[in-house]
Amino acid sequence: MPRDAFDVVLLGGGHNGLSAAITLARKGRSVCVLERGDRTGGMARSTQIALGVEAPEVAHLLYNLGPRVARELGVADLLETPPLPTVSLAPDGRHVVIEGDAARFADGTAHPDARAFTELSARLRRFAGILARLSLKPPPELDGGLTDMATLGELAGLARLGIDLKRLGRRELREFLRIVLGNAADLVLDEMPDGPLAGALCADAVRGNHVGPRSPGTVFNLMYRLGNGGAPRLPRGGMGALGEALERAARAAGADIRTGCEVARIMVADDRVTGVELRGGAVIAARAVLSSAGPLQTMVMAGVGHFDIEPLRRLRNLRCKGTVAKVNLLLRGAPAVTGLPDDMAPARLLVAPSVQAVERAFNPVKYDELPVAPVLEAVLHPPAGDGRCVLSVNVQHIPHTPAGGWDDAARDGLTGRTVAQLAAHMPGLAALVETAQLLTPADIEDRFGAPGGHWHHGEMGIDQILTLRPANGLAGYRLGVRGLYLCGAATHPGGDVTGLPGRNAARQLLGDGII
Amino acid sequence: MAATVPLGLVPTPLYSRLDALSRAKAWTGWAGYISPVVLDTAEFEYFAIRNQATLFDVSPMHKYRITGPDAEAVVNRLVTRDVRRIGDGRVGYAMWCDEAGMLIDDGTIFRFSAQDFRLCCQEPMSGWLRDACWGFDVALEDESDTTAGIALQGPTSFSLLAEAGLGAAAMLKPFDMAVIEPGLLISRTGFTGDLGYELWCDRDRVAALWDRLWAAGAQWGVRAVGAEALNLCRIEAGFIAAGVDFQPVHGALRLHRGRSPLELGFGKLVHFDKGHFNGRRALLRQHETGCAHHLRRIDIAGFKPAQGALIYHRKKKEVGHVTSGVWSPTTKRNIALAEFRAPFGKDITDDLWVEIYVSQEGQWDRRIVPLAIVDAPFFRHARARATPPGPF
Ligand SMILES: Cc1cc2nc3c(=O)[nH]c(=O)nc-3n(C[C@H](O)[C@H](O)[C@H](O)COP(=O)(O)OP(=O)(O)OC[C@H]3O[C@@H](n4cnc5c(N)ncnc54)[C@H](O)[C@@H]3O)c2cc1C
Repeated sequence: MPRDAFDVVLLGGGHNGLSAAITLARKGRSVCVLERGDRTGGMARSTQIALGVEAPEVAHLLYNLGPRVARELGVADLLETPPLPTVSLAPDGRHVVIEGDAARFADGTAHPDARAFTELSARLRRFAGILARLSLKPPPELDGGLTDMATLGELAGLARLGIDLKRLGRRELREFLRIVLGNAADLVLDEMPDGPLAGALCADAVRGNHVGPRSPGTVFNLMYRLGNGGAPRLPRGGMGALGEALERAARAAGADIRTGCEVARIMVADDRVTGVELRGGAVIAARAVLSSAGPLQTMVMAGVGHFDIEPLRRLRNLRCKGTVAKVNLLLRGAPAVTGLPDDMAPARLLVAPSVQAVERAFNPVKYDELPVAPVLEAVLHPPAGDGRCVLSVNVQHIPHTPAGGWDDAARDGLTGRTVAQLAAHMPGLAALVETAQLLTPADIEDRFGAPGGHWHHGEMGIDQILTLRPANGLAGYRLGVRGLYLCGAATHPGGDVTGLPGRNAARQLLGDGII
Repeated sequence: MAATVPLGLVPTPLYSRLDALSRAKAWTGWAGYISPVVLDTAEFEYFAIRNQATLFDVSPMHKYRITGPDAEAVVNRLVTRDVRRIGDGRVGYAMWCDEAGMLIDDGTIFRFSAQDFRLCCQEPMSGWLRDACWGFDVALEDESDTTAGIALQGPTSFSLLAEAGLGAAAMLKPFDMAVIEPGLLISRTGFTGDLGYELWCDRDRVAALWDRLWAAGAQWGVRAVGAEALNLCRIEAGFIAAGVDFQPVHGALRLHRGRSPLELGFGKLVHFDKGHFNGRRALLRQHETGCAHHLRRIDIAGFKPAQGALIYHRKKKEVGHVTSGVWSPTTKRNIALAEFRAPFGKDITDDLWVEIYVSQEGQWDRRIVPLAIVDAPFFRHARARATPPGPF
């Protein structure tokens, strides 16, 4: 008989569920991870695209897993890979290569805006580092009053943020406050003319969200990406290896991990969580449940009557329009990129030729239409033994469901446009494609439960970050019912593969003294 | 032009009757409707409520119907008291709070069955109730404009009903309700603390109902009354009024203006043991850590109404104020509801003083008079509970 009672159940075995499981199991708590899929890793898992060939099913790069958290979770060795250069593909073939704070042309010649770029990105990185400190803890709630120890602790954290900001010096502080809530287009175009370099910065500023470079809050998003350095990286062994390593670490710490187990109901009695019921009726008792399903979905599983009307309303109105589709192409051989030396192949390729092009690509999604020339982020993964290789592509600004629905024509059209955009730089690409897999935001919602199929499980906007993430009054990971917590991307600090929401929620649970 | 929305206050279906009776022509707006403050004089109307039978147009009340398999669950999650303990065919006074445990409004709940409730209240509640129903298998209908009502209050009110051929209401105990005739619901409820009924029917039938009651009422001293006389009676009965004794929290702009049912003295209507209800966790915390305020009934020396007066401890420290204060003609006491800053009003109840300003033909005088805290309602009469009611 498998064990049927634990201190904590983790609802969902995405990377955040696993991070929470590791954190809790290491503290001696009995932990059970329940994942409805047949593998763990959630949107960071890999999938078999063809016999013997693995591809990153959704997320395909790390840009936001900090070394401190990676060490804590026991996966730091996977990060010992060189960061990937970013190549912003130019229609005229003069691609721009970005490595850290440096930018140059792909042929090695100097880029006229290299200095402006270096200064801007160093400045953003400095600001981002300050915000990143806030991401290591639950955001301040400050509702306990000044006599409350917890509030005092939060104030101390805030004071540290204040000191960090002060240390910036007056001019820098003014600059920080000037730009932090602003839009990326203005920030970038103040420093350099429009083109592939400016386009690359703005593509990074909008990625994952329902925004264009001119939308407010995009500077914050850019800083969020840069919070842990921002260097894109493939973990050793590929994206899937990270989830596997997290699963191994969780098991090693004593966690019980079960796949193919869908939680149908969260059980509550006397305003406390008592466990979960699986689809099929099996019951697993627990004193705490941490859920990385969507916040509203979690409330519904527990029964909405257990929650106050206001938080329920806020979560019903959570902004979560997924806007990124995933296209995985299995290629018969590695394609060459015109204007790029062959040794540049393991790179992050961006199709974002200008700020204007990124803004223009954003327009149709407002009307649930598909962009003609979508902004792309593509990664060519190291070839399998037989020379076949995977080109994985994040396609930005795709509606959850286009006006006419996702019929075959819409699906094929999207895949076709994606291939065509890349083929402009990779002659003969179409002929190399053996298999094309498309996950629309609607598919992603179906498959992983991410609200709206959203990259971050909920838009990262001024109204949904920090103390307002996922919503006002819910920033402490607690959902009201004693022992019920959120631990997924919808919570502070947000999505991306960071491990932070899971780790922070687990620490909050331990701090609350419930188990 | 097509149908237009009327500008300004709109008449209730009883406006023509009221206007014909009105000498004072003193009207006020109630939930968008024209409602009388006084028709004749407040004193006449007050004594009619306490000695005869009176009609008051309660059509402007907001009325919401919640029906469906989950109706009981929705209402129980909405209000602080346990509506499972209200029998079918019964009416219950209830309060509902926001997530912080602060009162949104109070009102009456008509329980037709576990699947059929009507909520009657002063404040518009549509949006809030829609949110409260989300996720439940219920239908919500706003009956405010389709259902009208008449409050019939006073010691001879049952006699009047019998005279009007509605004697079947005799079996109604306080807070009972029944459909006495097709299309006519009568509840033994009211806002005066005395014998009284509320009659509910479709909006287009209410004028005829009024005429029928009026015709039957001649020998029972029937009078139409306005809000001012009623206000005197409700204070005597110890009922609180929204916007007066508490600020409905959805309408309060400033922080910390809300008050909880515990602070307003309605702890008995907060049933922590019934499962979750809105604001429960916040109220439980307050229950454990203590209230910041106490609303109490007070009896003030002298006879000058103390509306708005400040209250002092040892004549020095300001500790509260009067929210509703009147001279009670029936009990011959100077009564009031007053809000105290805790611990005053509950743990500290002696050496409390009211500062009243009085004007004698332009000459202002300040009086500091003692007050006493009172637990029971100021006005209570056995006839209000007798079933069947006496003829008087
Ligand atoms: C198209 C796309 C591309 C992306 N690319 C990147 C990228 O390159 N780099 C990056 O850092 N981030 C990327 N992201 C974002 C990143 O993938 C997510 O933010 C992150 O994976 C969220 O992790 P999570 O653990 O919080 O949630 P998820 O990964 O969504 O995991 C939630 C898990 O819960 C399970 N679950 C849900 N409901 C139940 C239930 N009832 N019972 C049992 N299990 C349940 C789901 O099956 C899932 O496994 C991308 C997102 C999208 C949509």
